[in-house]
Amino acid sequence: MATTFPTTVARPRRRWHELKHSVNWLYLLPALLFFIGYQLYPLLQVLYISFTDYRYLRPDPPNFVGLENFSNALADPIFWTGLWRAAIFTAIFLPGVIFIPLFVAILVDRVQNATLSTLYRLILLIPAVIPGPMIFVLWRWLYDFEVGPINVILINYLHLFDYRNAPQWVGDSPLTLPAVAIMEWWWGLGYHTMFFLAGLAAIPKELFESARVDGANEWQMFWHVTLPRLRPIFLILVVLRFGSAMAVIDEFLIMGGFNRSMPTYTWTVYMWHLGFQLGDWPQGYAAAIGWIGAISMLVVVAALFYIFRNQD
Amino acid sequence: MDLTRSIDSVQVREAAPAMHHRPRLRLGTILLHATIIFFCLIIVLPILWVFLMSIKSIPDAYTGKLWPDQFDFSHYNYVFEHIPSFWNNFTNSIIVTSATVFLTSVCAILAGYALVHLRLPGSALMVSLLVGTLFFPTRLVSLIGIFEIQNAVGLLNTRIGLILPYVTLNLAISILTMRGIFEQISPEIADAARIDGASSWRIFYEIMLPLIVNGIVVLVIVNFVTAWGEYLLAVTLTNDQSVRTLPVVLATTFGGFGEWAWPRIAAVYIMAILPGLIGFAIAQRWYMKGLTEGALKL
Amino acid sequence: MKRKDEEFLIQELLRSQLRRGEISRRQFLQNMIVAGMGLGGVSVLSSCGGTAPATPAAPAATEEAAAPAAATEEAVAAASGTRPLTPTFYQWIVDLHPGLKAVNESFADLNFQIAPVAGFDVARFVAEGKNKESTWDVYVGMTPFVEMAALIKADVIEPWDNYIPKDVLDDIIPSIREECTVNGKLYSWPFLLDIIVQGYNTSITSKAGLPDTPPADWDEYLANSKAVLDSGAARYGCTFDAHGWRSLCPITHSINTDIYYMLDGDASGVPLYDFTHDDAIAALEIMKQMLDLSSANALQPGTTDGGVNQTPDEVAFAAQQVAYYIKYQNAPLRMAGTWTDPTALRLGALPKAKGGAGSTVFWTTGACLFKWGQNKEKAAEYMKALTYDAQIWKDSIAGSSSGHPGQLPPFLSVNEALQKENADWFQKETWVPLVFEQLKVAKAIPNHAFGLQQFIIGQPIWEKYLKGEVSDPKVAMQEAKDAVAAEVKKAG
Repeated sequence: MATTFPTTVARPRRRWHELKHSVNWLYLLPALLFFIGYQLYPLLQVLYISFTDYRYLRPDPPNFVGLENFSNALADPIFWTGLWRAAIFTAIFLPGVIFIPLFVAILVDRVQNATLSTLYRLILLIPAVIPGPMIFVLWRWLYDFEVGPINVILINYLHLFDYRNAPQWVGDSPLTLPAVAIMEWWWGLGYHTMFFLAGLAAIPKELFESARVDGANEWQMFWHVTLPRLRPIFLILVVLRFGSAMAVIDEFLIMGGFNRSMPTYTWTVYMWHLGFQLGDWPQGYAAAIGWIGAISMLVVVAALFYIFRNQD
Repeated sequence: MDLTRSIDSVQVREAAPAMHHRPRLRLGTILLHATIIFFCLIIVLPILWVFLMSIKSIPDAYTGKLWPDQFDFSHYNYVFEHIPSFWNNFTNSIIVTSATVFLTSVCAILAGYALVHLRLPGSALMVSLLVGTLFFPTRLVSLIGIFEIQNAVGLLNTRIGLILPYVTLNLAISILTMRGIFEQISPEIADAARIDGASSWRIFYEIMLPLIVNGIVVLVIVNFVTAWGEYLLAVTLTNDQSVRTLPVVLATTFGGFGEWAWPRIAAVYIMAILPGLIGFAIAQRWYMKGLTEGALKL
Repeated sequence: MKRKDEEFLIQELLRSQLRRGEISRRQFLQNMIVAGMGLGGVSVLSSCGGTAPATPAAPAATEEAAAPAAATEEAVAAASGTRPLTPTFYQWIVDLHPGLKAVNESFADLNFQIAPVAGFDVARFVAEGKNKESTWDVYVGMTPFVEMAALIKADVIEPWDNYIPKDVLDDIIPSIREECTVNGKLYSWPFLLDIIVQGYNTSITSKAGLPDTPPADWDEYLANSKAVLDSGAARYGCTFDAHGWRSLCPITHSINTDIYYMLDGDASGVPLYDFTHDDAIAALEIMKQMLDLSSANALQPGTTDGGVNQTPDEVAFAAQQVAYYIKYQNAPLRMAGTWTDPTALRLGALPKAKGGAGSTVFWTTGACLFKWGQNKEKAAEYMKALTYDAQIWKDSIAGSSSGHPGQLPPFLSVNEALQKENADWFQKETWVPLVFEQLKVAKAIPNHAFGLQQFIIGQPIWEKYLKGEVSDPKVAMQEAKDAVAAEVKKAG
């Protein structure tokens, strides 16, 4: 009885749905065009190029060379050094970009005065509306050894160093990658704090109430109520920031340049250097480097997801 | 509300903590605000330093003294007189950024709406793909491909050649943001309008759009900042100073304004970050609302 | 040979004949029509600054010319100089020499370009040359020892000899002319002259109780620097730019200029810097002593131009933290411009080595002519206007609101005129005669394809000795020499 009724009505309904669906796809069309044109197609093209010996400045047509670019890249010490440098930078950068905003978010969350709370958030967000290159130029100045205010304060006001042993922040120095990491923390502080604040605001107050009734103190509440609730945000941030840290290139181009001995010469800079500057622009090789780096990142991302997911 | 009752309750609320926790609350609150203010200072001081640099006299700027002995306000003027390309670069920035913001917003709003409020088979798959692209260094790996495409269609060294790839920079995040915003709107509103016979376009235009204004503000600001400051694509796809955007020219390590005295570069710097700061100051209320409304929900 | 190339060559030949007055305008046009390029000829004539014959004369071309003329017109128009003169400059030249703007304005129909920041190198020119094209006509900013040999070898530039007026050619200071000449032909039209000299800050040296005269030799230089350091008058005694052509090479020249050698199997016939020569090693040892008295970060790369410019030594000198400085005269002059009292700057000859040659290094930044470019006569006119422009030289020598580059003219007549006129502003620049005296003994770095690269390759290696990682300078220099030789051999 019930089975016949739906089928007689279903057919015209399905057709109506199909009609509707095709119109609905139109809404996605503009975005799809851009994705396919300027993300999907270039990605595939780069994949294709990586299997050829394509050199931009040579007018000869490219030849298919199979996996030669990939094997060359894997044997290339500059590539491995570059990958290692990116990994070190990521390892330094990740904890700071997670825990500092978390700390600040917890503090700001406790501010009772609504006006002050908004004011703090706005101030913290200021770097988020300054474009990237301007941040890097600013910090290049701040880090200047002779006249940058950081060293001026360290030497002249705090008397922690003198001009013989003051830190060489940027350049051919082991402090370069931490210096860039500090800059990134500064830049992302407001934005990531907002993330955590949103997460904190989503925790129902009743949970805290009932915990308090049960006799939990502040620290226990943080550990058992707040942190677990924030886990999804942690995961997203860690994975997103891992990806962006390994793929950093703008900062290193601006603050480091093309000197191979500098710690900022990572695999991304190497890829760009090969593809758009060196010699006759061996883009086939550069493409292979790009893909190997990206795939290795994907592997780590997948591993991160796996590790974090099981605990649910 | 009964006025007397509210006063009583206020008094009660104040009295209770005063009786039990006043001393401890004070210290805790002071520490709290002091720490937050410390972070705020760290944020603000570098920017103030650049601003101060732009009005320092040249000798003072090079001695590294924090507070100048002598002020010099002529640097802004110097910039206007001596970089013929300054206005050019500034205009390029405005054009490229506005076009990018507009196109990205249109695409993202339409797509976000469709993914939430319209029935689409496979929309869940699409969302997963979008989220997936966030974890892949797309811009980096596809860079060579984008260069080749623009080369093939003759768009290297042009503004349009910058605008089109720029749109994809934040497209995935923008769509996901709009999706988060649209999810805050109860589907009942849309259903009610549909029952009344409105087409999905009318629902979108007359009902949804006004509700998501705060979200649009977030979208515009985020895309504005990214497009205004995009470096890698600009450096790869353009070669002439006359086509480049202002922040890129400022940051280029190959003799951009490298020969200039620092206060003058600082003056250009301040002018380059002003649009972002002013826009933020104007739009901040909607921006904050948009963030809390769901722009941060991935 | 393709038709397009043939036409290009015929047209160039006819044009040079026209320019030298061997044929008249009518003959030129006639020959162009005969060669099937009639309409193109009209536009060439007009771009040569003469009145073109009335256009009806062109359609009077023969039937044979009309049809291919239409087809090849496009090709000819491309080659016939219908595009305006397209020079390209480095940004720093524009920044440092504001008088450039006025020169450009006096030239109608000029497509002034700034050199692109990426991909502006031999590979790019070669790629364009394969299509017989060139985006630019003339490139201003070429330094002979840096890139000239490579450009000549790649066959993308042409000598100026056919276009430069003879009186200009003879007016070039002889040592500069030699620097810019290869196989008897002038490949670089010199524009800006730089010499490595020393500079010092009298407000610091007087505080240290030192006399206001430049140290004459290295022993005195180092002793004075130490005195400054000991007295606490400044943070650092002396500083230098770590790049080899700005420090190691000039210091070596001050001891001995015969420190180049021919590498076995190097077909170029141009010598390379001999790292292991006793005098080169002596220079490196002097540098080590200088490093001990200088800023802790003197060996760090600079912040612009891939680390080559805005180097730490410049920042230190500008911040008045160091007394003595060796670099090309441009650097101390520009940096002193940021002092509270710029008149505290003194320049002087590079210190000699006791009993040494007392020479130094000079180079010129000049212009080269792209072989596949156009408007070659016009380019020569433009360069003449540029390099003889009085305002540019005044701004350069005396300084302007843009800064004080201090780069000097490469021409005898210009310099003689400046000295003869002896204007007030010229008298104030007491360093000019000093620097010119240096030019008489200075030597250019030989124009090898690796002229610059040899120092870039060697720098991290000899710096091992400077940083104390290697204790024997001979070992470090030998390694540097071997590394350079390996690269030269690899490049073929």
